[in-house]
Amino acid sequence: MIQLFNVTKSYGGESPAVKDLSIQIPKGDFVYVTGASGAGKTTFLRMLYAAEKPTRGQILINNQNITRIRSGQIPYLRRKIGVVFQDFKLLQSRTVYENVAFALEAQGKKRYEVSKKVYQALKEVGLEHRLQRKPLELSGGEQQRIAIARALVVDPLILLADEPSGNLDQEVTLDIMELFKKANARGTTVLLATHDHSLHRRFPRRVMTLDKGRLIADQQPVEG
Amino acid sequence: MLENIRYFIRRAVRNMRQWPLLCTAAILTMAVALATVATFFLVVVNIEQLASNWTREIQVIAYLENPVSHRELPAITKKLEAFAEVEKVRYVSPDDAMKRFENRLADDASLLEGVNRNLLPASFELTLQPSFRNQDGIERVIEQLDNTLAVEDLRYGQKWLERFNDFVDMLRFVCLILGSFLIFAALFIVSNTIKLTLYARRDELEIMALVGATMRFIQIPFLLEGALQGLLGGLVSLGFLIISFKLILVRSLTSFWLTPADFDLLFLSPGQQGFLVFSGVVLGVLGSLTSLRRFVRI
Repeated sequence: MIQLFNVTKSYGGESPAVKDLSIQIPKGDFVYVTGASGAGKTTFLRMLYAAEKPTRGQILINNQNITRIRSGQIPYLRRKIGVVFQDFKLLQSRTVYENVAFALEAQGKKRYEVSKKVYQALKEVGLEHRLQRKPLELSGGEQQRIAIARALVVDPLILLADEPSGNLDQEVTLDIMELFKKANARGTTVLLATHDHSLHRRFPRRVMTLDKGRLIADQQPVEG
Repeated sequence: MLENIRYFIRRAVRNMRQWPLLCTAAILTMAVALATVATFFLVVVNIEQLASNWTREIQVIAYLENPVSHRELPAITKKLEAFAEVEKVRYVSPDDAMKRFENRLADDASLLEGVNRNLLPASFELTLQPSFRNQDGIERVIEQLDNTLAVEDLRYGQKWLERFNDFVDMLRFVCLILGSFLIFAALFIVSNTIKLTLYARRDELEIMALVGATMRFIQIPFLLEGALQGLLGGLVSLGFLIISFKLILVRSLTSFWLTPADFDLLFLSPGQQGFLVFSGVVLGVLGSLTSLRRFVRI
């Protein structure tokens, strides 16, 4: 459960990046966050994994108020949240296996547990045969699948994706969307920030539209 | 716990192997910094040693109004030897003085034939304890001599001693300034090199924070790596010093430098060698710690 109450985030004197945002996202929901560049999508997502603190307002994740979270507690919050980026954020000097294992190792998981889960996660995204490759040897779509595997390998409660298909062609984007849908079907709450309207036309889900930091529309998919 | 330690070590070693150039740069920077400071230390220690060799010459000569009789001599000698500052007492009778003079004249000694054997004054030559071979020690001896003997004149190389004291004071001052500057420069360069190596890996630090690694989990492998690099840097600098100092410098100096025959160039004692390597470890850890604070933001 994600709850925002009158959340504002401003950087200095200019108009705020996010303004007076009040949102409720139930557990297991799938939400598109749309809006033009600079609408505040990224800031919104960054506040959810405590990379930014709101200037005003309260954010609750699973009933935990993360607005004034102590920095020592942030890692434990992030272990419940998987994040996927447009630029993948993979370690180019590490193998596919190591990139995914990284998330589990960071949580102090045992070695045998790590290898088992990494293999499963990579199988899930169809890359179990590329374990020892380096990211740059793979296509953009494959790299994004590694990033998704890294985000999902820890069984997160929430998956945040910031323009995950921004660098990918249509066909690959559909593959990626399938992965998000599968994760959502297993109970993970998914928030997907995108300005690609074709996505929610093809996979209709709840759509929240931001404009200049404000929530201007919050539409549930039309049933049937 | 053990699993964690193994993981940290594995990651530190893997990091070093993955970035061989950065790692070598950090090790060499530390090695050069440590070797520079250690070389400076050795130069200072050796100059001080050389200087303290010169002070062996420092002695107080008290010329007496009247020679001391054989009967009185043991008692007076004993009194003088009882001074805390005095190491050795030697009585030079007028006759001894004349003999020395004759020896010094060598072939011209015949000039002294017929001269009164008691022409030269008797004297006591006082050699001082090493720790009192300075202005202060000499003044204390002179004060006590005045109360003990009828002294006609005193010689102790006043001018030389003053100049020597000034020289030692200046040497210490210059060493202090230069030494502090060197240590500061070494710290600055090392911490900047480490900052650079971390800057190259800021993605890794960012991703670690993103996937929920704790501050400690992120830092420990880097600190370990810093310690390991520091250890290697310390060993490289020690190796460099041993080769350049013991094998090259000592050999070439003894062949042409004007060192006294009994003067041995000092090298770092085993304890100091250990301290040098340990300083490398501390330098590596501190350098990593200060740099990490700047790059790891959770």
